[in-house]
Amino acid sequence: MDHDVIVIGGGPAGSTFARIAAGAGMDVLVVDKRKELGEPVRCGEGLGRLEVVKEGLDLPRQCYATEIEGAKVIAPNGKSIVWANDDTKGWVLERKIFDKWLCELAVEKGAKVRTYTRAFEILKDDKGKPNGVKVSHGGREPYDIHAPLIVSAEGMESMMARQMGFKTVHALYDVDTCYQYEMKPYDHENLIELYFGNKMAPRGYVWIFPKNDKKANVGIGIGGNLTNGKKNGGIEGAAPKPLLDEFIKNNEQLKEASTLMDFGGVISVGAPINEFVKDNCMVIGTAAKQVDPIHGGGIGLAMETAIIAAGVAVKAHGKKDYSKDVLFEYEKTWRKNLGSTIDKRLLLRKVMEKISDDDLNHAVGAITESDLAQLMDGKFAGPVAKVLAGRPQMLGVLRALMS
Amino acid sequence: MITIKHEGCILCVGCSSVCPVNALEVVGTRMKFYPERCIDCGLCVKVCPANVITLHKGIKNAKDIPKEE
Repeated sequence: MDHDVIVIGGGPAGSTFARIAAGAGMDVLVVDKRKELGEPVRCGEGLGRLEVVKEGLDLPRQCYATEIEGAKVIAPNGKSIVWANDDTKGWVLERKIFDKWLCELAVEKGAKVRTYTRAFEILKDDKGKPNGVKVSHGGREPYDIHAPLIVSAEGMESMMARQMGFKTVHALYDVDTCYQYEMKPYDHENLIELYFGNKMAPRGYVWIFPKNDKKANVGIGIGGNLTNGKKNGGIEGAAPKPLLDEFIKNNEQLKEASTLMDFGGVISVGAPINEFVKDNCMVIGTAAKQVDPIHGGGIGLAMETAIIAAGVAVKAHGKKDYSKDVLFEYEKTWRKNLGSTIDKRLLLRKVMEKISDDDLNHAVGAITESDLAQLMDGKFAGPVAKVLAGRPQMLGVLRALMS
Repeated sequence: MITIKHEGCILCVGCSSVCPVNALEVVGTRMKFYPERCIDCGLCVKVCPANVITLHKGIKNAKDIPKEE
């Protein structure tokens, strides 16, 4: 064996895993197929402060564009509600710098990292259990690397996880397809702005993430099953880029602004995969669909997950036993602690996609900042009662969902 | 099979994430398509945020794609 563990993917999940595992004395190799870590940027770059505080990390100034105070939810009729307190503070990151920084922390703990090194085949022993990967550096002659534990931290693509037998293929209904521009100038209040409306962004929303020097990430996510065409329940003309362009055209500030970058991606908004571990392998982060179904954020979850998974990997290393039984402690802990939150968010997402613009207008008018916090926390009773008091016809929607 | 207008591709790997037969993958700075695996399901076309994928149903070889498409 060449290493104790091979981590595929040097994003927030992979680098965090590598940092903890290497710090505990494991021989860790991270392979990432990209030439440069953090490139291309595929996300809105938001990160809640709590998530990093939990980790005990001190985010260097260059890793983020700006600090944010909270969020502002804007209903189709323009009415808004601001949610800003100590719990909602966070950053809009500079992913390119942030990812590299996280990876450097792993290197400082003794992990080895190889960029531009694409894993394309999982090697298996005579019992069919993973024991290595076949990689190629920049398309050159492939070679084998062996380790008793393989960790997939590959993000949305998750090709190696599939080879290890994990069901990581996404259903259209469970993804949002997103397009985004970095724009300037945009005067903002250091709040993340979320615009809802079924016409504006079918089963999704438009976001404006503030950045430094009057810059902002302006993006849209819409239901993956609703795009491009009438077949299979799609909406004619629904595609992220034209809808985002339409939003910008109708926004007083943005219609005059320039674009500094085009980027986009597809976000998982469904449930996590049904198993995270098998003998000699684990899946962590977005590859395991560990993403918040409401806001599509995966960075914080990926890092929290990586800490849990690495802790279990270190134990397995101590016992020299990488069987599913030992690694399962990661999955058990995850589902108990993080999984229940995700389940509640998933329910909230399903409620939200059923309600009309009128209902949305009413809901934003009826609830307060603390109601919003309760909703995100999975405590539906209070805020739902308030909304229903003024609009009892929405009860039907809820009943259909709960049954 | 599908064709990709690589110029507009933003390498988001959305197509690979929904492809049920692993026919799409980033290699280097370009999406690589494995036509022999493609089953013409069109999921990648629907999910692509940059709208750069075209489905040519029933066609197995790039040479057989009609010019006007």
